[in-house]
Amino acid sequence: MKRENTTSSKVFDILNTIILTLIAIVCILPIWYTLCVSLSNKSAAAAGIVRLWPVGLNFNSYKEIMGDWKFFNSFWISIKRVVLGASLNFIVTVLMAYPLSKSPKEFPLRNLFMWLLIFCMLFNGGLVPWYQTVRSLGLIDNIWALVLGNSVPMFNVILVMNYFRNLPKEIEEAAEIDGASPWYILFKIYIPLSVPVLATVTLFSIVYHWNEFFNGLILMTRAEHYPLQTYIQQMVVVINTAGMSEEQIKELSKLSNRTLNAAKIFIAMIPILVIYPYLQRYFIHGITLGSLKE
Amino acid sequence: MAKKVLNVLLLSMFFIGVVSTNSISVAQSVDPFGKYSEPVVLNIAMSVAPTLTLPPGDNLENDQYTRHIKDNLNIIIKVAWQAASGDNYTQKVNLAIASNNLPDAMTVYTPAQLRQMVKFGQLEDLTEAYNKYASPAMKTMMKKAGKLVSSAVTFNGKMLAIPAINVPEDGYHLMWIRKDWLDKLGLKPPRTIDELEKVAKAFVDMGTIGISGPQSGGLLYANFLAATNNTFGFDPIFSAYHSYPGFWIKGADGNPVYGSILPETKKALAKLRDLYSKGLIDKQMGIRKDSAEPVVSGKSGIFFGPWWMGYWPLPDAITNDPKANWQAYAAPLDEDGRWTPHLGTPANSFTVVRKGYEHPEAVVKILNLLIRDESKFDFTKGGIGLYPLRVPMAPLDEGEVTVKAGKAVLAGIKKPEDYDVPQYDIYKLLRQDVRNIKEVKLKPYDRMDIQYWNPKANMTAWSRWYSLMVGCSPIYAAKSITKPVYSLIYYPTKTMETKWATLKKLEDETFMKIIMGVAPLDSFDKFVEDWKKLGGDEITAEVKEEIK
Amino acid sequence: MKSKEVVKHYYLMLLPGYIWLFIFSIIPMFGIVIAFEDYNPIQGIFHSQWIGLDNFKFMFSLSDSRIILFNTIFISILKIAGNLITALIFALLLNELPFIKLKKWIQTVVYLPHFLSWVILAGILLDIFAYDGPINQILFSFGNKPILFFARPDLFPYLVVGSDVWKEFGYSAIIYLAALTGIDPSLYEASAIDGATRFQRLRYITIPGIKSTILLITVLSLGNVLNAGFDQIFNLYNPLVYSTGDIIDTWVYRTGLLSMQYGLATAVGLLKSVVGFILITLSYFLAYKFTDYRIF
Repeated sequence: MKRENTTSSKVFDILNTIILTLIAIVCILPIWYTLCVSLSNKSAAAAGIVRLWPVGLNFNSYKEIMGDWKFFNSFWISIKRVVLGASLNFIVTVLMAYPLSKSPKEFPLRNLFMWLLIFCMLFNGGLVPWYQTVRSLGLIDNIWALVLGNSVPMFNVILVMNYFRNLPKEIEEAAEIDGASPWYILFKIYIPLSVPVLATVTLFSIVYHWNEFFNGLILMTRAEHYPLQTYIQQMVVVINTAGMSEEQIKELSKLSNRTLNAAKIFIAMIPILVIYPYLQRYFIHGITLGSLKE
Repeated sequence: MAKKVLNVLLLSMFFIGVVSTNSISVAQSVDPFGKYSEPVVLNIAMSVAPTLTLPPGDNLENDQYTRHIKDNLNIIIKVAWQAASGDNYTQKVNLAIASNNLPDAMTVYTPAQLRQMVKFGQLEDLTEAYNKYASPAMKTMMKKAGKLVSSAVTFNGKMLAIPAINVPEDGYHLMWIRKDWLDKLGLKPPRTIDELEKVAKAFVDMGTIGISGPQSGGLLYANFLAATNNTFGFDPIFSAYHSYPGFWIKGADGNPVYGSILPETKKALAKLRDLYSKGLIDKQMGIRKDSAEPVVSGKSGIFFGPWWMGYWPLPDAITNDPKANWQAYAAPLDEDGRWTPHLGTPANSFTVVRKGYEHPEAVVKILNLLIRDESKFDFTKGGIGLYPLRVPMAPLDEGEVTVKAGKAVLAGIKKPEDYDVPQYDIYKLLRQDVRNIKEVKLKPYDRMDIQYWNPKANMTAWSRWYSLMVGCSPIYAAKSITKPVYSLIYYPTKTMETKWATLKKLEDETFMKIIMGVAPLDSFDKFVEDWKKLGGDEITAEVKEEIK
Repeated sequence: MKSKEVVKHYYLMLLPGYIWLFIFSIIPMFGIVIAFEDYNPIQGIFHSQWIGLDNFKFMFSLSDSRIILFNTIFISILKIAGNLITALIFALLLNELPFIKLKKWIQTVVYLPHFLSWVILAGILLDIFAYDGPINQILFSFGNKPILFFARPDLFPYLVVGSDVWKEFGYSAIIYLAALTGIDPSLYEASAIDGATRFQRLRYITIPGIKSTILLITVLSLGNVLNAGFDQIFNLYNPLVYSTGDIIDTWVYRTGLLSMQYGLATAVGLLKSVVGFILITLSYFLAYKFTDYRIF
């Protein structure tokens, strides 16, 4: 993209850079704060005096986590869940998006299927019927319960469908003249052309499965089966003591280790921090549609 | 003739044989500790601390407790599911109830869940199992605990749960105060509201926040549904005015009335409002992120809470400032110099059996075993909270006996071995306690200030002993001037299920606004009016019926 | 109209997804009948006592039902609008940044707040806006009195919306950033040759290029109009701000504390779904009627 060279343009660029950088700094502060707490002394953290620099710098929390097999066990479960879940989501998303991207003229029942999807996005029977369904399928404690649990990634399907819809018709027509089947068109033509949106929904899928903790709590009967965020969520409690039992009281002093909790939270964020830059190149350097012009 | 005699002999032998066999089997089957001839499987749910660590090779279905149960009773414990204690466990229990998927037995920690299961008819009747199989120890404790406990688990004459009998100390809210600051300022520990005000002013002038208040989401005071262990509330201040908001008490006409709508409450609110306006209460009460922080960081010198502060938040407080001398007092007193705290119910957790389970008596036996053998377990191999289906049953004087023993051992009057005799069997932690008190207590033994303790030697033991000596002793010492108040009920009635949320919202909003000066004191009168109209009167009538 | 052969393949493609949808979304949906029942787990979902619209009547009979509904919609709409606008503007601004490395770094960083749970963030917010916290310190240095932010019902909704927008805009912007890469660069080249200004580029190429995405996201967001964000508000609110901060979900939660009201909770869920569905359908047909464009 050629840039103008006027002063107003330069001023805009400078202002823009400053504003965006400031915004970015504000966004990173809570993460930085969490990191500082994780490296601080437990009692100092409990006193609330940790601000933007660790107080009583130490790596005890991280050392403790390294020795905590439960943390790594849940970490591994989350990895499995993400791999299975994101892959399955990807396949199903593109398979559904393609037919739905056709107009009603080309695919008569398309509107029916589309509205069915919208309906399912909005309506649900609540926790109990869903839980009973999963249970009757024998999926409790099974990783597939976590992968399949929240059904089709409907929002993603719609996003990709919309993107497919906006691809020039000529591409498809050209391929059809050459005798290509819909499968060929989808996998060999549409998908390579849709890298930005596919990278987006893949990211969403990965993030969803990585972050999701509630299903992990509901569908798993043992802590050994918890995905990572469920494992962490157990610890990060707000301490409200009224009506507590004696055991809970005794555990309170161990639970209220903010330093350790902060460390767990921080470590749980690292995979996300790592994966995004990897997928990012698909957002910034997209595939051009230049190939069309032939 | 011989034949006849033989027949009679044979017949009588037959009868004797039958009769004696019957009496043997009857005797066996009613043994509170009777071991089953065939293994009995029991599926349970477990509320577990997330930080749980067990010895290597152990898991929830195979630890010292489950092995003990199997060896003694031939009951095999299977854990249907576990969840972190607190909200997570509550949610999973709710789900189990809603999807009609209860394990054979489990413990619930809210009366609401118990009543829910009763309402749906999901529980097995335990009356017979309890009557036949409960051990003498259990029966004694239940009897001593009285109607308060039995009424919580009896529905239409049937016993549908086994209750916990918790130590009463949990219900007392004490005034915790920085004695080192008092000493520095040359002040005595306050005994009345007025003295408290003076001390608070002095503390504020020192640059601290004054009296600590609840954090965001915390309670201004414990209520009949969550009557114990409220930290950073204002319970003692209300009590000093004989105001018991959140509790159902006997009105002037002998009928139950909700404490929050009585004039005494208005008086107490007026005082709190006054204190707040003078800056003597934490400005950020009700919106602070964490009320423990000022205590831990030395920014607060006064707060109200139960006896066990030695477990939390004091350990962090003294790590940050080893000189922080937090002491507890049965204060403030009322106009007549009496201490009038509200108390809770000993029954705040319940063990239940699902309807249709073939061996309800198995659950009774498991709890019998717990009471008998609790002191024999090694808690380093897993805390007592891991004992399946545990509802704590403590002799009501456990705290007092322990404190007495501690003082005696420190004074040299008694030796730890003196407590090994059977009469102390039911005080399960006592033997361990008396053996480690000298680890954490320094001379002079009769002084309780922080400098005469050694927390670093054994933090867990210090937490327990500091809580007992500093947190519980004032309760015992104040016995002669104490006039406690109990709620008439500790569980919700039918109409509360739909209308209480609205009433409580109104109450919380109004009271907090009054105290913090956002609404005028007289908005209390409108609150009372509205409360009665929006269901309060209806519910009060229900309570009256309940307690008949 | 495509040939029958081709359409058959379309059905095949839809098969796995719709089976998955059927099992995990449609079957549980029958549980909606709980909204019309006095649910008893022993009797089950389909055999509990029918009470018709009683749950709904109860909802609307409460003295503060109007306030709660208003709070929910107010906060929700502000969030939808705030999120949309902020994410879009951010994406557009970022797109204009000439430094690729900085662009990448900023993009990564701004999506991080999305990953912190509200339990953590609420604590951080309460600290930042504390009476003696940084915001008040800044105010003080400008000669203002400190404010008890979270005690103020007049400020609460904006604190809620503002912090939510801050938390989510980076994540929401990803969709727009991805859409922006789909714009044909040759259009920009051509406009540069024609001497178009930055704003002309924006107006005639960029916005039209991502218009369908913007419209789609907007309409889908309307489906959430009665979901004002339970997690966030639950961790931030207190009785002082009930008048503006109590939403449908927090009210349902407090009601459920005493006795789980399955029928009521399901009824509330149904209400939310119906309202959201109506809004989406309305927008869809309005767009179709007036611009002949199908949003999805």
